[in-house]
Amino acid sequence: MRGLTTLLGDSKVLGAHDDLLIYEYDGAVDTATPDAVVLPESTADVAALARFCHEHDVPIVPRGAGTGLSGGAIPVEGGVVVSFARMARILEIDVPNLRAVVQPGVINLHLSTAVAPHGLHFVPDPSSQKACTLGGNVAENSGGPHTLAYGVTTNHVTGIEIVLSDGTVVRLGGKAVEDEGYDLVGAFVGSEGTLGLVTEITVRLTPLPEDKRTLMAAFATMDEASETVSAIIAAGIVPSAIEMMDQLATQAVEAAVHAGYPLDAGGILLVEVDGPRDGLDEARARIEAICREHTATEVRVAASALDRERLWAGRKGAFAAMGRLSPDYYVQDGVIPRTRLPEILKLVMEAGARHRLRVANVFHAGDGNLHPLILFDSRLGPDELERAKAAGLEILTACVEAGGSITGEHGVGMEKNCYMPLQFRPSDLAAMRRVKDAFDPDGLMNPGKVFPTPSRCREFAFASTAR
Amino acid sequence: MIARAVPADATECALILAEASRDRHTVRIIGSGTKSYVGDVGPTDLELSTSHLAGVIDHVPADLTVTVGAGIRVAELSAALARAGQFLPLDPPHADQATVGGVIAANSNGFWRARYGAVRDLLIGTRIALADGTVARAGGRVVKNVAGYDLDKLLVGSFGTLGVIVEATFKVLPAPVASSGLLARFARSADAFAAANAVARGASRVEACVVEWGEGPTWRLALQARGSGPTVERAVADARREIAARQGSTHELGNSLAAMRELPARAMDGALVRVSLPIAAASAFAETAARLETLAALVADPASGVVRAHLVGDDDAVVRDAEALLLAARVIGGNGRIERRAEPLRSRLPTWPTPPNGDFLMRRIKDAFDPAGILEPGRLAFP
Repeated sequence: MRGLTTLLGDSKVLGAHDDLLIYEYDGAVDTATPDAVVLPESTADVAALARFCHEHDVPIVPRGAGTGLSGGAIPVEGGVVVSFARMARILEIDVPNLRAVVQPGVINLHLSTAVAPHGLHFVPDPSSQKACTLGGNVAENSGGPHTLAYGVTTNHVTGIEIVLSDGTVVRLGGKAVEDEGYDLVGAFVGSEGTLGLVTEITVRLTPLPEDKRTLMAAFATMDEASETVSAIIAAGIVPSAIEMMDQLATQAVEAAVHAGYPLDAGGILLVEVDGPRDGLDEARARIEAICREHTATEVRVAASALDRERLWAGRKGAFAAMGRLSPDYYVQDGVIPRTRLPEILKLVMEAGARHRLRVANVFHAGDGNLHPLILFDSRLGPDELERAKAAGLEILTACVEAGGSITGEHGVGMEKNCYMPLQFRPSDLAAMRRVKDAFDPDGLMNPGKVFPTPSRCREFAFASTAR
Repeated sequence: MIARAVPADATECALILAEASRDRHTVRIIGSGTKSYVGDVGPTDLELSTSHLAGVIDHVPADLTVTVGAGIRVAELSAALARAGQFLPLDPPHADQATVGGVIAANSNGFWRARYGAVRDLLIGTRIALADGTVARAGGRVVKNVAGYDLDKLLVGSFGTLGVIVEATFKVLPAPVASSGLLARFARSADAFAAANAVARGASRVEACVVEWGEGPTWRLALQARGSGPTVERAVADARREIAARQGSTHELGNSLAAMRELPARAMDGALVRVSLPIAAASAFAETAARLETLAALVADPASGVVRAHLVGDDDAVVRDAEALLLAARVIGGNGRIERRAEPLRSRLPTWPTPPNGDFLMRRIKDAFDPAGILEPGRLAFP
């Protein structure tokens, strides 16, 4: 502690117990208290801190807004948590080159708001976009509803400045679409803070679509809603978003947000198409027809921007609304080929029932990215979370067996690192490990994440069932 | 004597590599061999062909994904997808011959990049045979996946230096129902680029938008739109308006785009400089290039900032002009390479004249994947 304050000054270091408590959790279910929290104000601060930690063999855990859903920002093996709250400036908005250069602490939505007067936006729009930071988005390779057509964070980052665990500062990529040599920017995005600390990000800005059409369709069952998703894709339409919600989720959302979803529907779809105005009504009409063919009980097209906002407010506020149903929830993030939706959703509900827990579903149906919210009540004892985790594991196993992934956008973190062998064989993990060792040979960056650790993963012995 | 290996599957491929590593035998990986001009690979002990690692392995149209053997030709894959009403949104050069593995390894993109993304954006999974004899899988077969590191990204543009890509999974799209394009001619480069930028950034989304320099000088702008009927009509109408506003004349597109795309295939003499620039710099770069004595052809994709300049003439002049262009690219925040050069220029024009940022990390990664240094020695100047 004393070393850190000498190095960086009192104002940038927190060490009091009460101060540290705020940093012991993120948006997931695990907690751990850091030994110290550092609030750097520049790349030089970060580099000095890394050199210090390297010298003293102290783990470094980067943290954005702490909205992560896999325990990525939790110092599970102790060490220093680095909060980027004070590196939160938009450094440059370069309209001619369609780029922005930002510090990692900039909030996702603030960037899109800042560039909106130029008719531009930053595409990835996670539900936490009002709070989550771009540094966190880079770490987790965050997605959001509109990634179906426009890609996730990695598709929108062209340059980064990183600090390695030994304090070396490296600038990779830039404003051009690619750099020579290996795509280290691509390797770094989504590495969950295990390869280094990102201190500056160059992102792609995308012209806002000329117009949008948003529609909500209600179905008697989730099966019908799922089949409608496949039918829309099969018809050759690629909407910018297709979101799905089951009845339990709808009820929570309606109580909290009043988005206007019908409470009696078994499944709800939120579908958006965007682009040049000319093709939109045709696409909207075709989607509407497909919904009706699949016996939608109601199809409502947003008549105004306000209407659209309301429909989306329901979706984006869904996780927060779960508080209406249950004091705690455990959210999974498995991905499946979208054609397998009906059968896997059935397995999801069975897994919940088996562990006597309710499950609400709110997810990105268009790209098969499930978000089962397993509801539990930790006040009833530690057994509740254990059962939630057991149900979660069964769901992820089903996703991998269906040819999918254990995480589509929330990351592995410390929450699913023991499950990595479900999806990856030892040789796959060994290949990843080589990249880890190249960036962070001493293993100081965010230890205990992504890779299974012998100490915490002993109870899990998986053989990969992936194809 | 160069031995030739044609592995039948990933396991056999990995075994061949393990043996080569043990015996310190150098290996060159060959798909169709269309891009063997990149870099400086001399004769190797072994040539490993991916021709038996071919075919469509899995295609579920409703999932919009396809998994193929790396040795399949892109053209063959495109034909298979077309039968299902879909397409792989990549239009790399060497369109007839290039294999999927080669396109990934060389990060070979065309003009659709700004509209649909590059190889790195469309590739969602790979299976790779590694120098230690293991087979590793990266990514997966679903369109969204953040489990573990994104090793696919490292393979794109790695030119086989990290392992042999034996299998790849891509995102695909429904084939558009309508298509239209046009060609415009301008006297001034500024007008051609201004029209191109107006179209590329406008609300109507074109698929390709390319500027080509020709003798005269004339500057040609080739545009293509595909999509639903109304969106294509709109895109063409918008383009005509932008062209007319800048005194351009419009003509039939014909097969101009294919000819522009295939510049690397025909640039066998002199030197072909390829740069990647911040997009707004493409116009000034092209104008600079147009003043060079040796410029024989120039093709710019203003929407992605990738420009190729073919330089022909006296060796000294070509070297001078090539170096000037690479320097200019760096000065304006871009980067570049000598993508192709005639044999006599090989020693005077290294493919990669300056190491990229982070080259020490690249070297560590290379050493971790190929400690014996058998894979494609000389292909990349770094690691």
